Amino acid sequence: MNSQSSPSLRQALTPSDNDSSPERKALLAEIDASCRRPVLFMFANGLLWLMAGTALALLTSYKMHSPNFLADWSWLTFGRVRPAHLNTMVYGFASQVAIGVAIWLMCRLGRVPFMQGGLVVGATIFWNIGVTVGIVGILAGDSTSIEWLEMPGYAAYILFIAYALIAIWAIIAFRFRRERHLYVSQWYLLAALFWFPWLYSAANMMLVIDPVRGTVQGAVNWWFAHNVLGLWFTPIGLAAIYYFIPKVIGRPIHSYFLSTLGFWSLALFYNWAGIHHLIGGPMPAWLITVSVVASMMMIIPVVTVAINHHMTMVGHFKKLKYSPTLRFIVFGAMSYTVVSLQGSSMAIRSLNEVTHFTHYTIAHAHLGVYAFFTMVMFGSMYYIVPRLALREWPSARLISIHFWTTALGILLYVVPLSVGGVLQGLAMNNPDIPFLKTVELTKPYLVTRTFAGILMTVGHTAFAVNFVWILARRRKAYQPPVPFIAAGLQQEAGAQLGKDI
Amino acid sequence: MLIYIIILAGSFVFLTGSALLALRWALRTGQLRDSRKTALLVFDEDEPVGRMTDHFPGRPLPPTDPASPPISK
Repeated sequence: MNSQSSPSLRQALTPSDNDSSPERKALLAEIDASCRRPVLFMFANGLLWLMAGTALALLTSYKMHSPNFLADWSWLTFGRVRPAHLNTMVYGFASQVAIGVAIWLMCRLGRVPFMQGGLVVGATIFWNIGVTVGIVGILAGDSTSIEWLEMPGYAAYILFIAYALIAIWAIIAFRFRRERHLYVSQWYLLAALFWFPWLYSAANMMLVIDPVRGTVQGAVNWWFAHNVLGLWFTPIGLAAIYYFIPKVIGRPIHSYFLSTLGFWSLALFYNWAGIHHLIGGPMPAWLITVSVVASMMMIIPVVTVAINHHMTMVGHFKKLKYSPTLRFIVFGAMSYTVVSLQGSSMAIRSLNEVTHFTHYTIAHAHLGVYAFFTMVMFGSMYYIVPRLALREWPSARLISIHFWTTALGILLYVVPLSVGGVLQGLAMNNPDIPFLKTVELTKPYLVTRTFAGILMTVGHTAFAVNFVWILARRRKAYQPPVPFIAAGLQQEAGAQLGKDI
Repeated sequence: MLIYIIILAGSFVFLTGSALLALRWALRTGQLRDSRKTALLVFDEDEPVGRMTDHFPGRPLPPTDPASPPISK
């Protein structure tokens, strides 16, 4: 079996016949060729949503300190634009790019070409229809008002079916793998691909389709919202980090034992942690206490991952100067440590009493979804896209602009907003301070956030220009990207892949 | 309300239970043995240990590395 002779649908679903004979491990160029269409299609669509989500983010941020801006048009009121931004980023950009990265990693690590790429492209179109319907629904005033699940129910059906049609092929790639031993990234990917549909379907059933009553809505909401980050984005982000740091620097992970310890402790502890968002709320005390304990237990996987990443990089930090992928990935890995330890600390009741309902939580969420996950996805795309497009990135300067504006932008976003959030929380807990004063004192931090957003917009635009540029250049004559394909394989890859161009 | 709490707690148990089942499978099939060999799975003859595989376009690669430090077991 190779990329030219993909198994039929029936064979793909019953691969037992292939297990009896040892198969040739696929060439990297062969794997990349099989992933090219579906993965580049996902990345392209993800980038479109990134730009749309960035525009919505800027609008939302500006409205926070200038609430009258575009307030007369109901479609662009804060209550609609803000959830539209969140859902655009979560389902349009982050999830789509994450699935693309997961597919590529699964095939690379399993040494097997991707099967039925055409079907996956079709399912991806379906996914994007779902996101479009959902975002238009939110902007039209049809939001569910449930955080991270604001898309109306009719969009959720589309997304779930599309996800199933895409993810099944990533699972099949795993089932067909020709490298039988599993690398830690595969554990993370498999877990994420399994956990997300459970979370999404269970939460939609209990909150949107047949809603539960009363305070349980809050519990289910935070079980979902917290776990989307911890059991969907985090595993895929960590899978990418565990693959790309060793791959780029050319050195194995410091301790494979620690990496497996980190995975299994995350798998056992994380899903209990989300209810710490309801500290002080009308929930059974034991449920919140269990969640606080689980949040503290999360220190184990976080510290193991942090030690492992740091020790792997020791002696190789100078390579950050040479590799765009490494810059983004290491930035994301460091952010993972910070955001996770910060998250555990936010489960401490005395701290939670101050930071809850403040901008501190918003800063924390962006530290996780952007500084960790999105930066890791950017780094992954810098590695994957040239191998699929068979071209170098056209502009090193645009890559540098992308890195520095997004890195500085997210720091300028998170640090002042965290400080402002703590001050806001202390003020809100002081009964002598009128509520309006607590709102006004946050204004300088909100203006700073808008400037940070402008910086990140510049970075996203630079990335989008580079991405369109590299795809447009594919029409020119094929030239093997020398550092990316071993010299002995260049002719073979060129002969095989050049036909597609 | 109790039934919903049970469903929610059941979801916690389901997710944790699935992780435990996967751990059992990993132990039985030897996936957690020989961590040194497993750590090398990201490399192959095309992209071997010791070779940096990413760089800024149009800019030189870094000088060749000295021998990598040993991998801990």
